[in-house]
Amino acid sequence: MKMEARKRLEGFAFILPGFLYIVLILGYPLLYNFVLSFKNMDVKNFKTAASVFIGFKNYIFLFKDETFQLVFKNTFVFTVGCLVFQFVIGFVFALFFSKKFTLAGPIRGLILIAYMMPMAVTALLGKNIFGVSEGVVNDILMKTGMIKEPVEWLVSTGTAMIAVIAVNCWVGIPFNMLLLTSGLTGISDEIYDSAAVDGANFRQRFFHIILPLMRPAILSVLMLGFIYTFKAFDLMFVMTSGGPLNATDVLGTYAYNLSFTQYKFSLGAASAIVLFICLFAVGLFYLKLISKEED
Amino acid sequence: MKGSKIKHIGFTKQRRRNIIGCFISILIAIVFLFPIYWLIIMSFKSDTETFGKILTYYPHKFTIDPWLENFRDKDFLVSLRNSVVIATLSMALSLTLGIPAAYGMGRYRVPGRKALLLTFLITQMLPASLMLTPMYLIFNNLNILGTFFAPAIAIASGSIPFIVITLRPYFKSIPVSLDDAARIDGCGVLKSFFKIMLPTIKTGIITVTVISFLNGWNDLAYSMTFNVEAKMRPLTANIYKFQSKYGTRWNCIMAYGAILVLPVILIFVFLQKHIIGGLTAGAVKE
Repeated sequence: MKMEARKRLEGFAFILPGFLYIVLILGYPLLYNFVLSFKNMDVKNFKTAASVFIGFKNYIFLFKDETFQLVFKNTFVFTVGCLVFQFVIGFVFALFFSKKFTLAGPIRGLILIAYMMPMAVTALLGKNIFGVSEGVVNDILMKTGMIKEPVEWLVSTGTAMIAVIAVNCWVGIPFNMLLLTSGLTGISDEIYDSAAVDGANFRQRFFHIILPLMRPAILSVLMLGFIYTFKAFDLMFVMTSGGPLNATDVLGTYAYNLSFTQYKFSLGAASAIVLFICLFAVGLFYLKLISKEED
Repeated sequence: MKGSKIKHIGFTKQRRRNIIGCFISILIAIVFLFPIYWLIIMSFKSDTETFGKILTYYPHKFTIDPWLENFRDKDFLVSLRNSVVIATLSMALSLTLGIPAAYGMGRYRVPGRKALLLTFLITQMLPASLMLTPMYLIFNNLNILGTFFAPAIAIASGSIPFIVITLRPYFKSIPVSLDDAARIDGCGVLKSFFKIMLPTIKTGIITVTVISFLNGWNDLAYSMTFNVEAKMRPLTANIYKFQSKYGTRWNCIMAYGAILVLPVILIFVFLQKHIIGGLTAGAVKE
């Protein structure tokens, strides 16, 4: 008994420093933001507004505001657009590179570089590649005759989102491939072999064996993908600054600009809380999935 | 006689599959890695070629001037040093707090461990824009705004949960008999942690070391917000400054970007095997 109590203490001694750090550094800001979003604090009334609560006024203001509505919509369009493409292509890559051939390992590794690159550089590169006259995308499309005039990718509101989604998918595909690969390796060769003996073709194997067995991995990768994509910030900040005319402005950049370029701290906090609530709603499913497998 | 013939057919079929696989994978690599190729070749173009009417797909006149121009720039060198300092500092902080926490979570049946794990998982959902204002005020009170500690502390708050989630399954998979053997040999708790546990999960340790370094190296939002002065900012946060300095001299901008990507490429070329295994262990459970 005494031994067990000692072991528990030992365990806590290892865990607590890291845990307290997280709670203090992240928990406090979360609460602080929550409180701040019910006040009306900006750079002018920094001192006087600290104790005045205005209820849900910030949230009501935001949801009535046309720019915020656009930003809210943009965030979903961006996230869904990215998730669809990066998941499908990432899955195809994962399936393909799970085959046994000499270059499978090395090239899979090279592809992962896209995932680990600083997003600021990726965004810079995207800005160059989608440039009107200097951009290589336009150059290739013109040379292959797919377009006659250069497309103003990042200058016109209709195409900027497409360019931003394309660049983000370039980062998201390796991420999806990585997580789905580990799901695939969980399926043993015996299951494949017995299916092959039963004469199952690829389509049958895919829909009746691979998909059901990979359900947990697929759910994880979609939910994690949602969380990482929905809170995007660096990409838009460097590549488009949210422009043109808020066409690529998302909740992450919008909240940042409210707080740090317009100094409307309470409004910024409220939109950050909206962002967090969306993430948390999806995150809850992820937590449920993870904790179900936990003893 | 018949047997060897079948074997022969099987062999060529396998070889053909291998060749087709390699061929397709090279095609995928060419298309997918084209942006990285572009980043690198652009950084070796001369000014005349960069501003030329015709877009060239490889440097017709190879030059290292754009790289030299960056390295001769004092502001660049300062930013580079800042990047290294911030990444190293946040890595050290993350490892010191994260690895023991992962060990405690993986090897001790502490009460409330499920709630602890959930807390670590929830932090992965927190967007940077939610943290910036309150952290700014906290760091202001602590008087560390404008120092390397502010971004390092903020970045570590993201790396620590990652370390816990990634390493916990590793620690869990070490057989209990190893603990017992260590105890019998007279190893104390700390000694067995450092001398036995850590070396056993080397792959996992390499992964979290690399990722927590890159988290700091890649950071933009925290450094940009907490360190207003350019001379305290890392390369990522000074991208705008250099962009307006170089204008449309994309060769110099790309050299700047290539230098930022270089550590990532080096790490992947040399440690690829470890990292790929390590990254997937914690994120998805089979």
